[in-house]
Amino acid sequence: MNRNAIDSLGLVTLVLMVAALFMVFVYVPTEAVQGIVQRIFYFHVPCAWVAFAAFALVAISGIFYLWLGQQVWDDLGYAAAETGMIFCTLVLVTGSIWARPIWGAWWTWDSRLTTTLILWLLYGGYLMLRAMADDTPQIARFAAVVGIVAAADVPIIIISVRLWRTIHPAVLVTRQGSHGLEDPRMVATLLVSMAAFTALFVWLLMLRFVTLRTRTRLNFLAGELGRTRAAVGDL
Amino acid sequence: MGAFVAILRKDLRLELRGGESTITLVALSLLILVVMVFALNPAGGARDAGTAAGALWVALIFSGTLGATRVLAAESGNGCLRALLLSPADRATLYCAKMLAAFIFMAVAEVAAVVIMVLFFNLEFDARLARLAPVLALGSLGFAGLATLLAAISGRVRAGDLLLPLLAVPLFVPALIAGVKASGAALAGEPISAFAEWLKILVAFDVLFLSAGYLLFEHVIGED
Repeated sequence: MNRNAIDSLGLVTLVLMVAALFMVFVYVPTEAVQGIVQRIFYFHVPCAWVAFAAFALVAISGIFYLWLGQQVWDDLGYAAAETGMIFCTLVLVTGSIWARPIWGAWWTWDSRLTTTLILWLLYGGYLMLRAMADDTPQIARFAAVVGIVAAADVPIIIISVRLWRTIHPAVLVTRQGSHGLEDPRMVATLLVSMAAFTALFVWLLMLRFVTLRTRTRLNFLAGELGRTRAAVGDL
Repeated sequence: MGAFVAILRKDLRLELRGGESTITLVALSLLILVVMVFALNPAGGARDAGTAAGALWVALIFSGTLGATRVLAAESGNGCLRALLLSPADRATLYCAKMLAAFIFMAVAEVAAVVIMVLFFNLEFDARLARLAPVLALGSLGFAGLATLLAAISGRVRAGDLLLPLLAVPLFVPALIAGVKASGAALAGEPISAFAEWLKILVAFDVLFLSAGYLLFEHVIGED
């Protein structure tokens, strides 16, 4: 991974993020019913999208790791899980801040909230496994299996929780075919926020990925060094 | 098939001679139900069907976690697992046998737990319990399938006993929701058609996790 490419991506993220902040706080009109607190939506939704994409990436890297057995897939999965966890936490936090004035409660057991919380718990378990089993040689396989199983569980979680209860506003597409964002400036702001958060995610992911690649390389070199020393000692 | 029967028969015979796992599971279920009665303070009777169902599923999850750990931990001493892995039986067969053993231990514990629940929550021994049976069977089959796969991982990790519930419980959530809802309906005397949707979710969960275990077990089982 080219160092310059990562730095350029960081720069792009910075520009997009500043643009998104400007649009959220200055450009976009205040929503009539919910008022100022609705602006958190422009951060909440991109975080949710990024978190879901990250967790899908964990499962995909898991499949490739079990299939091809290359360490690079394990490093990618680990980086995606850590980065996704940050954004999943942000989804829960921003959602709570919004829900308190709108719903009158920090938390309700609505279907999307519940699903997101369970995802957060699932990947929390995944990261704890990785942390606790860091010195186990088979950790890459274990993590791949848990990542795949967790992703496979998601559709059933969504169905069961939806059947259980739902009050979450369907903002983007409702059954009537209209979306909740009447003003074109709102749509534009959401799109720029989406781009900014996606760039931020890819940038953070790459930074973490490069670090993990370096760690893998170091472990390999340490192993080689040990073997060479042993061979020299035998002479 | 021969290997499957042999491994399962060995586990069951070991259990019949010693009975450690099932006795522990029954005792744990009893304790959990006592705790739940203190915690929830139910008034008793059919009004508390939902509460009783919830308590029963808490007992199921914890005894299931223990059961799955036990069936794999039983092989850890004296190189038993190495012998099993060296034998011509493939890993998926080993998974099926171990999963079924865990399921049987859980089922025994649940029969006891249901009896205790009826007594503690002041319910009736009647046809409602027959409708509860498929719900519990599907739920514990799913949990055994899931926990056996994960126990192969947690058994090889430092402090793995702590890790198993952290991984298993969130994964089990869809079956837990479906199971508690269906059990509550069954205990409240509703016909099976009233909770057919929940049974479908349980079946889907079982199919998913038994196939996942069957396909992925070979990647996690091992000895070190």
